[in-house]
Amino acid sequence: MTNLPTELRQLGDAIEQAATAQLTGRSRARARMPRRLLLAVAVVLVAIPGLAFAASTLISGDVVAAGLPAGTKMLQGTDPRCTVVRQDVEYHCVLGRLPADPEVLDLKGTVEPTVDATRHVNGGCRSLTSDGRVWRCYIGQAAVAEKIIGPDFLGEHAPSPGVG
Amino acid sequence: MRTDAQLLSAAETDAHAFREVYDRYAVAIHRFHLGRTRASDAALDLTAETFAQAWLSRGRFRDVAGGSAAPWLFAIARHVLVASVRRQRLERSACERLGVLFAVDRAETPTEPSEVWLEGLDEAFASLAPNVQEAIRLRVVDDLSFEDVAGLMGTSSGAARVRVHRGLAALRDRLLQIKEATR
Repeated sequence: MTNLPTELRQLGDAIEQAATAQLTGRSRARARMPRRLLLAVAVVLVAIPGLAFAASTLISGDVVAAGLPAGTKMLQGTDPRCTVVRQDVEYHCVLGRLPADPEVLDLKGTVEPTVDATRHVNGGCRSLTSDGRVWRCYIGQAAVAEKIIGPDFLGEHAPSPGVG
Repeated sequence: MRTDAQLLSAAETDAHAFREVYDRYAVAIHRFHLGRTRASDAALDLTAETFAQAWLSRGRFRDVAGGSAAPWLFAIARHVLVASVRRQRLERSACERLGVLFAVDRAETPTEPSEVWLEGLDEAFASLAPNVQEAIRLRVVDDLSFEDVAGLMGTSSGAARVRVHRGLAALRDRLLQIKEATR
């Protein structure tokens, strides 16, 4: 074990604990929802008339485009347009206007969350270009799998656009 | 002993492997931030954010420096520093997502980021030969393959690989030298 100063050692402990918790949470979430149960939930959703609509409602590119500036202050006023790559999973977005005040000089690889109409984090996007014009967005667990957002952040209430 | 790259690969499912990377670089990254901010609390917070972001983005690490994570970690540290100055408050988003600062019971640091923190920030990169800077930019920033880097630079793939590898190694050494000088 490296001999770190006390504060750095404590910080290392905290990061390792948080990282372990994230890994454990991810595996627990998987364990809690086995495939057969997932199938049962899907059947119930479709069987209940009120929920059937929600279950069959597809997420449009416009919805994802609205979620970008709603989730990230830097992207307000950028007029995104998104097209479906994989329905309800992956979207390709292009900004009509570049971010007026980017927080970093090079936006390539920058990740930002998206929020739904109820202001809850529903996914996230990654900039494919240095100027931040082109983004690839993922919805739900796909955003977690892409390491754009953490599993604990998905579904969090985000009443105002985030920064950073 | 496992390389940084091997540890980061293992860290996909093993937090302790990431801890080993942290133990190797925590002091250097902390020195980098302390040298910039001259404020111990701010430097510790920025160090926390650097490693929290590294953890969250470990899947995007690419071994382009002979197994070393130093250039990647310093790039994240630079990003965290620049973002903090641009936003006029310390970047904490990754720490907040992971609950890191809560775990060490740290309140928000009152230090206000200053443009002074960025003075001379890129001097290490600027000190590299122009063709090496370009090779690193094409490979690391633009994420091009060595074949594409070679095509754009009019050289062979092997030569492009060597140029990037040596450039990153030199960058790592110079970053560490600069931080040593600011101790």
